Amino acid sequence: MQFSSRLIEDAVNAFAGLPGIGKKTALRLVLSLVQRPTEDSVHLARAIASMRENIQHCITCGNLSDQTVCSICRDQRRDKSIICVVESIRDVMAIEETQQYRGVYHVLGGVISPIEGIGPADLNIDTLVQRSTAPEVREVIMAISPTIEGDTTIFYINKQLTEADVQVSSIARGVSFGGELEYADEVTLGRSIVARRKL
Amino acid sequence: MHLSHLKLTQFKNYESQHLDFSPRLNCFVGFNGAGKTNLLEAIYYLCMSKGYGSTVDQYSIRHGDRGARIGGTFVLDDEREDRIVVKLRKRQRKVIERNGTAYARISEHVGRYPVVIVTPDDINLVLEGSATRRKLLDNSLSQTDPQYLNHLITYNRLLDNRNARLKELEGHPDHTGLLGVYDAQMEAPAMYIFEKRKEFVDPFTELLTQAYATISGRREEVGLEYKSQLLDTGWETLLAERAEKDRILQRTTGGIHRDELVFTQDEHPLRRVASQGQLKSFVLSLKLAQYRLLERSTNRTPILLLDDIFDKLDHERVKQLLGLVMGSTFGQLFITDTDPERITSLISHDPAVEWQRFLVVDGVARNEAEWKRFLEEE
Repeated sequence: MQFSSRLIEDAVNAFAGLPGIGKKTALRLVLSLVQRPTEDSVHLARAIASMRENIQHCITCGNLSDQTVCSICRDQRRDKSIICVVESIRDVMAIEETQQYRGVYHVLGGVISPIEGIGPADLNIDTLVQRSTAPEVREVIMAISPTIEGDTTIFYINKQLTEADVQVSSIARGVSFGGELEYADEVTLGRSIVARRKL
Repeated sequence: MHLSHLKLTQFKNYESQHLDFSPRLNCFVGFNGAGKTNLLEAIYYLCMSKGYGSTVDQYSIRHGDRGARIGGTFVLDDEREDRIVVKLRKRQRKVIERNGTAYARISEHVGRYPVVIVTPDDINLVLEGSATRRKLLDNSLSQTDPQYLNHLITYNRLLDNRNARLKELEGHPDHTGLLGVYDAQMEAPAMYIFEKRKEFVDPFTELLTQAYATISGRREEVGLEYKSQLLDTGWETLLAERAEKDRILQRTTGGIHRDELVFTQDEHPLRRVASQGQLKSFVLSLKLAQYRLLERSTNRTPILLLDDIFDKLDHERVKQLLGLVMGSTFGQLFITDTDPERITSLISHDPAVEWQRFLVVDGVARNEAEWKRFLEEE
């Protein structure tokens, strides 16, 4: 791509460094900003800078937060006796979208995978164990991807929680809602049959 | 079952290639390096979703290209047709489609179109370490039992993680208990694989004995013996006993990845007692036994690929082998040879066998008619 302006080129490269944005999309964004009033760009730049400087991880659950403790953990209406353990902040958002869960979260920051160089010490597991020993906590729900590494993480955490007086559960796995049985892959279907539920 | 059509795009040294096959015998002839073996490899890909030996997907893409495509049409015994496409792309997951739909898991594909390959490297089954023989077990069992392949993939993944963890610990004891988690997680796949391998040996030995008698015409008694640490002790005890050794060596020393298959002749280790000729006959018998086993358990006639057998096997054995595999109990065959006349001279006396010959030159394969036209145009 040939640029007539070094300024445009720098801005395009800055956008194109973000995930999901190629050179052409980056150029579209930059040209759009050029056409808008200057304040728009200033506002965008400020929003980004302020976000980056002030965002922090909740000291309780590891979720992203404006303050030391996130809005979910501060919310008096949420049930503090249930902790839902997830891999990432995106999973928190996905579960919040369902509006089916009124407990609190704990964000691990990944799953245990020594081949990727991620051991238990690299994840927020110690803080989870600590939290779970609090007398008000009754249940810990594992909402972790059904992969080999996900299972390792679940078993590992379950082991760490034997001392704490909590019930440990895992989200259900099986045929997706609205899906047809014949299109479910054999591993999923097999697991669904084994973990069938009494009506 | 047979492969009726093959279409290659940017695969190995082929830019674009269409081929129609005989349901019985197909010969690829040409000089070394022309691309004969690559055609067998493409067929193997269609059946097994990967190349044979240690072929890496990335290197199956033609040099300088970003992706490769292998398309094939299998005609089943009831005349139904299955179109299979394998798409390889640089730095991306490979995709395998059956009749236009991609599989969610590769294990759903493996075993539908059984295949056996005979190559000069097969002699390594006898000469090399135990890994090649476990591969023979895994290859046979994966094609007959999709669960086996799933368990094997899971086991290997857990093993890699467990080994990485042991390295990370650098010889220190594991206070977190993560190794114990792996031990527990590995048990189910390990026991499944162990049981299946154990069950494999007896019926396979029977087929092997028959094949050996046919090929060698001799009466030595050949056999196999499956050896596994799990034959003597349970999974938990095995890993507990090995914990200290694992910590020091920083790798997992107990498990089904240490299994061994011992070949025997008259109850002695084959390598010690067999002559060169006997070894070759034995290796060929292994493949033919595998062929019969797959046929029995999949209820489909496997495709047989014979790579470069003429240069490594003596004339008598080749003649015997061809006579055998051209018999009515075998299905579709693909053979490579450097000498364009050799196969023809061996088979042309039998008009009952329907066959096709392809001449392969620098990444282009032509059937007889195309070849004639090509020579006329030159």
